[in-house]
Parts: sequence; structure tokens; C-alpha cells
Amino acid sequence: MVSLSVDGKRIEVRENTLLIEALLSQGISIPHFCYHPALGKDGNCRMCMVEIEGQKRPQIACDTLVKEGMVVRTKGEKIDRVKRSILEMELINHPIDCPICDQAGECSLQNYYMDVGLYESRLTTPKVRGKKHVDLGANVVLDQERCVLCTRCVRFTEKITKTHELGVLSRGDHSVIDTFPGEKLNNPYAMNVVDLCPVGALTSKDFRFAKRVWFLQSEKAICNRCARGCSIFVDHHKEKYGSEKIYRYRPRLNEAINGYFICDAGRLSYAHENALFDAQAMIRGKVSEYDYAEGKWLRLLKRYLGKTLFLISSSLGLEEFVRLQKLAKLYDIALSAYEPDRFDDRFGDTFLKCADRSANARALPLLGIDDTQEGFQKALQNAELIVLIGRHDVALILDAPCRKSVVVLDAGGMTCEEVELMLPVASHTQKEGTYINVEGYVQYSACMIANDKGRKSLLELLGTVLGDGMVRAQEIWEEEIVRLEPFQNLSFAMLSSTPRIVL
Amino acid sequence: MGVKIVQRHGKTLREKLYLPAIFGGMKTTLRHFTANLSDTPQIKTFSYPEEQPQDITERYRGVHRLTKREDGSVRCVACFMCATACPAECIFIEAQEREDGVDEKMPRRFDIDLLECVFCGACVEACPCDAIRMDSGIFSFIGKKREDFIQTKEQLLAREAKENR
Repeated sequence: MVSLSVDGKRIEVRENTLLIEALLSQGISIPHFCYHPALGKDGNCRMCMVEIEGQKRPQIACDTLVKEGMVVRTKGEKIDRVKRSILEMELINHPIDCPICDQAGECSLQNYYMDVGLYESRLTTPKVRGKKHVDLGANVVLDQERCVLCTRCVRFTEKITKTHELGVLSRGDHSVIDTFPGEKLNNPYAMNVVDLCPVGALTSKDFRFAKRVWFLQSEKAICNRCARGCSIFVDHHKEKYGSEKIYRYRPRLNEAINGYFICDAGRLSYAHENALFDAQAMIRGKVSEYDYAEGKWLRLLKRYLGKTLFLISSSLGLEEFVRLQKLAKLYDIALSAYEPDRFDDRFGDTFLKCADRSANARALPLLGIDDTQEGFQKALQNAELIVLIGRHDVALILDAPCRKSVVVLDAGGMTCEEVELMLPVASHTQKEGTYINVEGYVQYSACMIANDKGRKSLLELLGTVLGDGMVRAQEIWEEEIVRLEPFQNLSFAMLSSTPRIVL
Repeated sequence: MGVKIVQRHGKTLREKLYLPAIFGGMKTTLRHFTANLSDTPQIKTFSYPEEQPQDITERYRGVHRLTKREDGSVRCVACFMCATACPAECIFIEAQEREDGVDEKMPRRFDIDLLECVFCGACVEACPCDAIRMDSGIFSFIGKKREDFIQTKEQLLAREAKENR
């Protein structure tokens, strides 16, 4: 350990740490553009200047290693003047078109200007103009004028995706980021450069002009599009007289699972969630009142007692699995999680994307829920009522030789006359739940976007049937899950630190 | 929170009685009353609505309008500053890509609900482009149904500033 003094305060950090890492880990704000924890230092933006005692000139914190007894000053008249001068240089050719910039509100340039800038422009010559709208491909739009040339995006394609599509072209104040001639940004993680870009140079075509960021509310969630279970922020907003809408997913830092990044497929899957928000209760293909449909579900369950099969999705939360299993045991209901389309080899890769598209199938063997084809076929033969829960692949049942009654309990999706009842339940971002990822990390998704359609969550429906009124994940964890053998060393409070279990 | 102590005025008996001040005020009222009674044409009223007020100043906050650029196109860039500043949340904007090369962004929809508006002028203050103004001089807005009070982008753009006489 090395001890150093920062603004008169002693801090202890590990040896060979970069000074900027030491400062940021202590919660000291230090302006920076080019340094990024996942991409390392580059030392080109010169924003992170600090005063180090014994050094003639201010030094950049991102390219200085900590030394024993170092005395560092990050504040003060002198260093603020240096930061202001550097910021003034960064902003020389910046168009200051914040009113039309999607980054406004979460822009480092704006924040640093408010912290250390606040000068009047001394520029008398015209600004160097660049191209305002360059389509780089993969939903990324480049505005060359706004760029501060921190090269985070270039280093992302070099170090993380190793696809090398981006580079800095030309020299001096004509330097611009661009793709190499004849190439487009083309990799399944390309949209991460939008998050990496500290200014509004790289913006998402998908989010372009959709919403000003200060209206958005962020919720912590887990992506459910594959077995990786990346940590994400769900940014949503309810417009006045409108209904809830998700505007974007952003990666959320989780060192154990996804680091700072998510894949584009997961990022764009918010549109799928939005489409589910409007689903209505249907009885034999006709729209019905929700309360009536819920009553019908209970009546059907009662009528087919002992002759029912729950065909569940393997992407449901752990709490839902446990409750469904309890219900199945109580009323002698067959339970199967067979999914013929669970694996998609074209989707998987070696970075984050998994061929296993199920968000929580790892929990099935731990709980002893059957997901084999044989088990499903056997249960299907004996059952008269099939309840699809969290899925709507009714073709699987309708193709079966003998006629069955089909009920769908899902967030949305297709319905047809053959389906006796379609009862929409809360979708993934409208419900809480715990998911076990491909490596055995147990994660809690806390995102519960309110739904204005009066639609219930699966846990609420099961709470009614079971009659114990347990609907919250915490209750179910404390009462039921911690008593199960694979989870006995865990508790609900521990989930925030992403514990790992042996699969 | 700090407390500011304000000295109470009027320590004399005359002031504490209140009555001399009340009679003083009543004297002025009575004087105007008798003067008006004897000379009715001098009373400062006019027959609204046949006669319109002439003292609407330049700074009067009337119904909003959207200003135009020199080429006659919409000046607004849909930055949502007005909608953010609005305390009544009565401005509804939807942005879209601007294709004519003048700028990048413009409003597809720009509605102001005048029934919700409190005419505070915060939107005018907030606008970085001078695209919204309240200088139309319209102090009374009439509609036959609720929907008439939702001013659309086209209606706001068609409105001109009040001519100063």
C-alpha cells in the first residue's frame, strides 16, 4: 500500500495505481475525457491536471503512478486556471449546439464548464466546421464538430471488440473521427461507443431526438435476452396524459458480469418491452375486462384440477419458479419448462452474448423442475388444460394430436381463437425478480415500472391462488427460498453484491 | 432558517386607535364619490368589448406565438427548454429530424394548452433561440370547446407580434 496526501487528506491505495484511479476511488471529482476504466489511459485530453508537490508544472493524473508520500492538490486558484484554459481549448471549435444535442444533460463538457469554465468566449475567428451528421453504421451517428478527440471510441474498437473500424483522420484542428474508407461500424457491441463518448459527438440513431435525458427516470434491472444477464439501467418516462414508455437501455457497471458494456441486441430489446405494455386480456380472441379474465383463470384452474399442465418459460424469476412449484405440488399440477428454441448458436459469441437465450434456466435443475422433451410429452398426454406461463408459443400445444384447453399467462404476444384465455401479466421491466446467470451469479432485478392498465404480476396472481398473499420478492426469499438447499447460504440483502453459487 | 425581527410601526395613541386613519381614507373615497356623481362622463371606464383597451404594453404577456427565421421556417429547435421550465407543464413537444439543411432538429408537434397555462412567461425566458414569445397582445382568448384552447404549432406560427401604436 502507498499513502499519499490529496488536498490535505491522507489516502491509502495499492501500489502501481494510476493517480486518477486513486482519486476517483476516493470519490474525488476530477475532470477527464480520454481516461476510461475499461479502456485505460491515453493522456490526450489533458483535462485531469493536478498539482504535485515537487513537480514544476501541473501533471495529468491519468498518466502518473502513485508514489509514497506524494502530495497532490486537485483544487485551488492555480489548478482551476489550468483546467479552465484546457477546457477553453477543447471548446474552441465546439459548436455549442446544446439545444439540439441529445447528450445535453449528461455531457461531460457541459458539466466541466459549469464546474471550472464559466468564461466568456475570446474567439474572434470563425470556428472550424465539420460534418454534422455522419452515419457510422450500427445505429451510431457522428457529429464531427462536437468531438473532443478523446479517442475512447477508437480504443473501444481496438481493445474491446478488436474490429478496428474507427480511426482519427487528418491532422491539427481538422482531425476527425471516421470509419476507414469503404467500411462501416459493424460489430454486435458498436452502440457502446455512444455511452463511452463523453460529449455529444456519437449519439444513438435509435434514441435520436426521442427524449431529453433529464426527463428520464433510471431503474436498475437485469437484461433477460440471454443467459449472461447483463446489468442495465432502464430509462423510462411517463409523459403527461401518456402512458409509461421505455426510451433506452444503458449498461450498468457490474465487474463480475458485463463490465461497462452490453450488446446491441440487448440494448435494442427495450422496443420489445414497450410493445408488451399495451397487451389486453383476451378470451377466445376477443378483448375482455381484466377482472373477468382473472376470474375465468381461477375458474378454469378449479375445473381442470389434477388435469393441468403448467408449461413455464425458463426466463421467469426465481421467486416465480418457487411459487409455481409450490402451487403445482399443492394441487397436483404437472410442471414443465421444456423450450425447443432455448439455444440459438448464431446469437452466442465469446464476449457477452450467450447461445443460451434463457434468462434463468440455471435455476431449473437446482429446483428440480423438469425441462426435458420426454417429460413434456408425457405431461401433455395426461393434461386437459395447458397453461403457458411467461411464454406464448401455443403452436407447440395446438400441433398436438388431441385437443386441449390453452391458457396463456404472459406479458403480451399473439393470441388466437384456439386460446381459451390470454391473461396479460407484468412484463420483465414491470416486475422484480432474481435471475441466475450462465456462470452462476445470482442477480436481483429491481425494475418495477408501474403499469397503468391495472395488470397484475404473476406473483400477485399466484399469491391469490395460494391464498398467503406473498407477492414481494423479499418476502418469498425470506420465507421460502433461503430454506432451499442451493440457496441456504444466501439472503435477500446479499443479492445487491451479486453472489455466485455452484451450478 | 434565520428569523428577521421587524419593528412594529405606530407607537403613538393616535396611531394605535386606527380611527383617524380610517376616517382619512373614507374622506378620499367620499371625495371621489361626490366628484364622480356630479360629473359622470369623467369616469375612467370604457365599453369593453366594443372598445378595446389601448394600454396593452409591449411587455404584456399575451397568448404565445412561435417566431420564424428569415426564410419563414420555424425557429424552434425542439430543445424542450420551455417545456422543462413550464410550471404548469402545458407545453407538449415532439421532436423530429429537420431535413432542409437549415438545422438538425425541429418540432413535429408543439402544443400549448392555454387552459393549463398560467401565463408566467417562463417559457419565453427559457428559450435559447428566441423562438417563443408572448408579445401577441392577445389578452382574451375565446374558444367554443376545450380542444380550441390547445394551440398547435401551425396556429402558434401563424400569429404575429402586436403592432405597437
